[in-house]
Amino acid sequence: MTETAIELTGVTKRFGSFTAIDDLSLRVQRGEIFGLLGPNGSGKTTTINMISGLSRPTSGGVRVLGIDLLAEPRKIRRSLGTVPQENALYEELTAEANLRFHADLFDVPRKGLEQRISSLLQLAQLEERRKSRVSTFSGGMKRRLALVRALLHDPELLYFDEPALGVDVQSRRALWDRILELKERGTTVLITTNYLEEANVLCDRLAIIDRGRLVALDSPSNLRRSFGDTVLEMRTRPSPTEDVVARIRALPGVVSATASHESLKVTVEGGTDVTGKVVTAVVQSTSLEEIQSREPGLDEVFLSLTGKELRE
Amino acid sequence: MSLRHNLRVVRAVAAADIRLTLREPLFAIVGVVIPINFLLLFLLFAISGGQAPIAVVLSDQGPLAERFVQAMSNSQSFIIHTTSPADAEREIRAGAIVAVVTVPQDFDAALAAGRRVDVPVEINNLNVDFTNDIRRAVPLSITSFYADAFPDQVVVHAVESDVQAHDTGYLPYLAVSIVVAGLMLAALLQGSVNAARDYELGTVKELALAPVSRIAIGLGKMLGSAALTAASALLVLGVVILLIGVRPLHPLEVIGFALLMIAAFLALGVLAGTLVRRRQQAIPLAIASVLPLFFLSGPFGPANWLGPVPGAIAAVSPLTYAIAAFQHAFHGYQTATQDLTVDTIVLSGFTLVTVALTAFVFGRRGVAH
Repeated sequence: MTETAIELTGVTKRFGSFTAIDDLSLRVQRGEIFGLLGPNGSGKTTTINMISGLSRPTSGGVRVLGIDLLAEPRKIRRSLGTVPQENALYEELTAEANLRFHADLFDVPRKGLEQRISSLLQLAQLEERRKSRVSTFSGGMKRRLALVRALLHDPELLYFDEPALGVDVQSRRALWDRILELKERGTTVLITTNYLEEANVLCDRLAIIDRGRLVALDSPSNLRRSFGDTVLEMRTRPSPTEDVVARIRALPGVVSATASHESLKVTVEGGTDVTGKVVTAVVQSTSLEEIQSREPGLDEVFLSLTGKELRE
Repeated sequence: MSLRHNLRVVRAVAAADIRLTLREPLFAIVGVVIPINFLLLFLLFAISGGQAPIAVVLSDQGPLAERFVQAMSNSQSFIIHTTSPADAEREIRAGAIVAVVTVPQDFDAALAAGRRVDVPVEINNLNVDFTNDIRRAVPLSITSFYADAFPDQVVVHAVESDVQAHDTGYLPYLAVSIVVAGLMLAALLQGSVNAARDYELGTVKELALAPVSRIAIGLGKMLGSAALTAASALLVLGVVILLIGVRPLHPLEVIGFALLMIAAFLALGVLAGTLVRRRQQAIPLAIASVLPLFFLSGPFGPANWLGPVPGAIAAVSPLTYAIAAFQHAFHGYQTATQDLTVDTIVLSGFTLVTVALTAFVFGRRGVAH
């Protein structure tokens, strides 16, 4: 059995003259939770469509669980559980009817099916609502039911599109717990998300793609570290001048420095020595009224890699 | 994928579609009612268009005048009532009748004397179709009257021999064609609505991501749609057989061809729904497809009587073969140059090709996450 769950090799996908994915290569290991991040229109959906066999690459290779996508797309689908963003549940059918329909599509053996449905519904705290129409469910319940459905045929690879989308804090936490349990059981999980806290909590590794290209691939902690190990946020009066900001930026160990109205944000690496030099440079030119030190967030990494302009 | 799994998928997709259709009563009602509406509207059109309402002013009460009016009545071209000159004039001015035929006061006497008789015919010529009906039917009535009243004077007679064993009325002929169009409409509506629903609700992803044959999904959709189509078909056939009294000569043929044409048009409906992906577009598309095809597929007579261009279109329309087959099943005669075997092959082939095309389109177009 291959240790690689997903392998994209030089994948390019074009729609007419538009290149949605440009020479993308990445590997997802079996048993890891892998996050795919990117702004709107970055190519996440196109990548996922190719991995699930709904779309074919223009060039390059896609292997999922060791199976060539072009040769055996149906075999890949059998091993893939999917929770799409909009759930794709039949809202006018009951929770149980949705699950039985899925069982028929995936040829889940009838023997033991009842027990499997019950145990999965219990795990998702939906057992009491199994006979209720899905249209009466809250957003979080629908998300949990969609996850139950995706797990019904015991997939080796689970794809979860935006797990936290439209759910309350309790449901989000419950979903995260289920995903982490899956990892413990050896299931490979691929998630796409725009919610960076989610990526931070769940993912072993993250790929950030932008304009169809891979711009970063590492664990959340390594990605944060690549942005510096400490962020200093200072309130000053008056605002630091451009000269001061340039002088700070030139200090050894300073990764970035940006000033806005009466505030200064500096990212550093190299510990307290660098921090001390930055603070000294600030107090020599202006009055330092407040200082906070913290680890960099993934959102800062994300924005530094993909830019701040709005995408549609 | 095993045959057992394929059958399981067909059954599951069909059962889900039936349940979903029943839980959306508006679409179910629309799907069942529109074909029956179609049938009734066309029949009303046929009934009302066949005979022109006219008034006869009978100024001569003699036996020959009476026989002349009887000849007009026997022509089956008019709905006749006799009235006074003043009432007749008022009616034609009000648009209540198409024409006023006045039998003059000296009708009998003039004929007895061998004199020329002018029969005034006042026509409301606002519609050339009705106007020409009157222009044709009045002279024909005069000829019939002469042949009946003065057989010695009419020496030319048509000697008729019939190709078919029995006459078939305009209405029974047309009713059978309308039944076929009604079945086509019912199947197109149900098939397209069922297929489009999955795209509209986003549930198509559940189907597209399943490790199943696209043909099995298409067949499941057809089977699911067939339940309500069958209800609609029974209603349409019930109206024609029980209310209009058009009894099929070959009932088993009716059942067989009804099933075959429902399959053919369900397949077309599922394909249309897969392409348009919205139920609100699927419904008008189904109606808009049936109407022109109906008129181009020989509903009023054999398709090859339509002329070269419409005839060529009719030759590639599956409805042509369905109508020809149904006319045979109901009336026992062949209305087309092709025989029943060709009708069967064309309809079966059309079904298979459309199912394959649906599977291809479903597979190629896919769905986005």
